[in-house]
Amino acid sequence: MNSYDAIVIGAGHNGLVTANYLARAGKRVLVLERRAIPGGQAVTESFGEDWTVDSLHAGGMLRPDIVRDLGLNIPAPAPQAFTAHTDQGVLRIGPTLTDAASIESIRAFSAADATRWPEFVAFMNSCAQMLDAVYAVPMPRELPHVDLRREGLPMAKLALRLRRMGKRDMFRFIRALPMTSLELFEEWFESVALRAALASVAIHGHTLGPMSAGTGYTLMHNWLNRGGLAAPQHAAGTGSIVRALTEALLAARGEIRTGSAVQKVLIERSRAVGVRLASGEEIRAAVVFSGADPRHTLLALAGERELAPEFSWHARNIKMRGAVAKVHFRTDGRHGIAAGTHAVAASLKHMERAYDASKYHEIATAPYLEVSTRGETVSVHFQYAPYKLKSGDWASEGKRLEEIALATLAPLFPALAASVRGSRVLTPMDLEREYGLTEGDVNHGQLAMDQFFFMRPLPNWSDHRTPIAGLVLCGSGVHGGGGISGATGRNAAKQYLGGRVG
Amino acid sequence: MLQLKRTPFHERTSALSQAQNWRRWAGHIVLGSYDLGLDREYWGIRNAAALIDISPLLKYRITGPDAAALLHRVTPRDIHRMSVGQVGYTGWCDEEGKLVDDGTIARIGQEDFRMTSAEPSLRWLEMNAGGMDVRIVEESDALAALSLQGPNSRRVLNACCETSLDGLKYFRVADNTLAGCKVQISRTGYTGDLGYEIWLQPEDALTVWDALLAAGHNYGIVPCGILAMDMARVEAGLVMLDVDYTSSHAAWIDSQKSSPYELGLDWSVHLDKEGYFVGREALEREHRDGPAWKMVGVEVDWEGMEKLYAAVGLPPQIPAMAVRGSLPIYNGTTQVGYASTSTWSPVLKKYIALAHLQRPYYQTGTALSIEVTVEHHRRTAPARVVKLPFYEPEWKKK
Ligand SMILES: Cc1cc2nc3c(=O)[nH]c(=O)nc-3n(C[C@H](O)[C@H](O)[C@H](O)COP(=O)(O)OP(=O)(O)OC[C@H]3O[C@@H](n4cnc5c(N)ncnc54)[C@H](O)[C@@H]3O)c2cc1C
Repeated sequence: MNSYDAIVIGAGHNGLVTANYLARAGKRVLVLERRAIPGGQAVTESFGEDWTVDSLHAGGMLRPDIVRDLGLNIPAPAPQAFTAHTDQGVLRIGPTLTDAASIESIRAFSAADATRWPEFVAFMNSCAQMLDAVYAVPMPRELPHVDLRREGLPMAKLALRLRRMGKRDMFRFIRALPMTSLELFEEWFESVALRAALASVAIHGHTLGPMSAGTGYTLMHNWLNRGGLAAPQHAAGTGSIVRALTEALLAARGEIRTGSAVQKVLIERSRAVGVRLASGEEIRAAVVFSGADPRHTLLALAGERELAPEFSWHARNIKMRGAVAKVHFRTDGRHGIAAGTHAVAASLKHMERAYDASKYHEIATAPYLEVSTRGETVSVHFQYAPYKLKSGDWASEGKRLEEIALATLAPLFPALAASVRGSRVLTPMDLEREYGLTEGDVNHGQLAMDQFFFMRPLPNWSDHRTPIAGLVLCGSGVHGGGGISGATGRNAAKQYLGGRVG
Repeated sequence: MLQLKRTPFHERTSALSQAQNWRRWAGHIVLGSYDLGLDREYWGIRNAAALIDISPLLKYRITGPDAAALLHRVTPRDIHRMSVGQVGYTGWCDEEGKLVDDGTIARIGQEDFRMTSAEPSLRWLEMNAGGMDVRIVEESDALAALSLQGPNSRRVLNACCETSLDGLKYFRVADNTLAGCKVQISRTGYTGDLGYEIWLQPEDALTVWDALLAAGHNYGIVPCGILAMDMARVEAGLVMLDVDYTSSHAAWIDSQKSSPYELGLDWSVHLDKEGYFVGREALEREHRDGPAWKMVGVEVDWEGMEKLYAAVGLPPQIPAMAVRGSLPIYNGTTQVGYASTSTWSPVLKKYIALAHLQRPYYQTGTALSIEVTVEHHRRTAPARVVKLPFYEPEWKKK
């Protein structure tokens, strides 16, 4: 029987990052991916007929230290503009956040806001840097107890790092985390348009509205992963990241097998010893990493029979509830939409109402949309399209998303409708079935306040361990995760190579 | 308004009650004793046949392809090794290896089990059943139960059952017909004597009760309350939840919790069994290191007691029933444990106690002393650690 030093379940970007770190440390690594191609949500893939699309995540960046550590060759995405289409008018920021044109664009709405804007950008950059540091440190294992020898130093460094933000920003940072974006922006800005533009980034990808607590935090989180407001798009597609990771892995003698869904983690006496594939094949390894979401990993792959009752009860209650869908249009190229990121965010209240629909398991009929283009393709991020629908099911409702998206975009981009030649909708059900995301949750567990930091994925389990020895979480569902950054993949590998988990 | 429930036998038991000595048991009222004293009922258990209403027991029916897997996971016993018709006694633990509750598990069919417990257990069973193909039904009210205990119990049953009980071995269960009513009879009990428990439909309760009393007439059958049973179960060294240990789900602090090893239930923990079960890791650790505490039997020295009472001009005073108050136990002047239940044992003519002692004082034969209150003054009487059970008649397992 085949045997490896390590198996990584899932070739999402985090799984690939973990595999690269392990392979570079001399481990024999095998990555198993259920889809026919690697990449997870960072994939650029063909929808057939020569139509290649960033099907899920528009753009992305790995943390610079990961790129360095792994010697990756990823061309840096060119800075792009972020355009918010609000009911007060169009606000355009970028390509650089504080360039003269951006400030002028804000000034058209409010002179006072234009004056405050550079300070806000500096504050957000500082918050993002702080989060970046927090996301590099697995949280203590048994809070409130901190193991001084193992966890004390990194935690002390984080405390010092926080202190170095300066007294004013430190308090502003801590206070902003649990705030609603509505309240946060009301304190900073008077322009309804600017508030709406920023709120759209705060809620992007999350099943939260601008009036939800904790959207102060999600704004910082997305700001960190985007490096500001606009999505960092790659000329060759988000898949550039995956390609670089795959090439580096193969060069380090790692292996990737696609079309290989893991059905079960093999467990002997509460220790993971390998995996069984859907085909029945069994592969052994000294350690098994999972880049799949924690609920799937724990309940389906490890199985509740191997878990303590309280633990599996908690695992069952990890909040997933995805509400994101994608609508891709293939056009004749004359869609008339400028490059960059376009947020269709009429107003903060408008977005909150769109979110309300998802609370009641309805599709938002006046949704928040984010539009980006790559050549002839127009990709629309659709929010909110809840995984669980009150009436109808996703087999039939997908078409409605496309209709709503087109109707919403028509007044803003008059040339779009006539340019459309084909389309492809990815509903939350597709996200689950095709991309392996439980309840269509793109973040492998909501980044809600009861699920962040030391509570991600579960309180006191945010150091990548699971109750099964030798089964280690490396995907977005752990502390540091959500978004494309590679942080959890990196942290998991370092925890293991440092002998702290596994 | 909260109403304590009556059992399906209430019409008969209440008519026979002279003392109106009602006790609460799992939300029901049952008789503590029928008489003013316990003697007749106690000696019914030890010398003849005693009929006890145990309907308040909590009962769960667990069926389906994963029924065995669920119980195997919940308890430290090797359930897969149980044969159909077998009954097993076991405690079950939380993830820290501390007891949640205890009871019996009867394998009625390959995929069909009945579990009894002292406290409500539905939520715990369901929490453990995630991902399993199993049905858990509480049948506490849907099933009436009687315990017939004592050396004559088999003769009484043989006189009124369709199938003779001669073939039913210790801790086995089988279907039977009693006075025309379908029943299940297990050779189990809470007295440490020869005895049976009869599981029946509530609507058959009075018929079965009457038939048993009639059949038992010539064998000295006695309706018996739960207080005499309580004395007998101490003699048999059997623990009681909330008296001899606290459920880990109800404990306020860790030190109130007990492991099966601490209660001397080692024999029901099968560490050699396959797969995960709740508390496995903690129990393996404790098995390696040895328990810090152990529940053992303690016999109080009768002459020592006589001396204490003689000093105030009295013969030894013994309580009329099992005492559930905690009594300190000393090695010299240092407290090394406590008794959770103590009782006069009429059959042994000894004062005995279930005692929880720290290592190393739980070794058999260790000489200690136990607190005795003599005319409002706290004294200590010499006592000695003995093996459990205190009393086991040769006919119990025959
Ligand atoms: C439209 C969209 C917008 C988003 N916006 C944001 C945002 O604004 N902010 C934010 O933080 N995040 C956002 N995200 C989420 C972000 O993209 C993800 O958090 C990130 O890509 C997850 O990467 P990953 O490697 O951890 O997991 P994934 O990319 O999900 O990879 C997991 C891999 O595991 C595979 N797998 C699963 N089960 C098995 C199995 N049993 N056997 C084998 N393989 C298996 C899957 O096929 C998949 O390839 C967004 C996502 C989408 C789709």
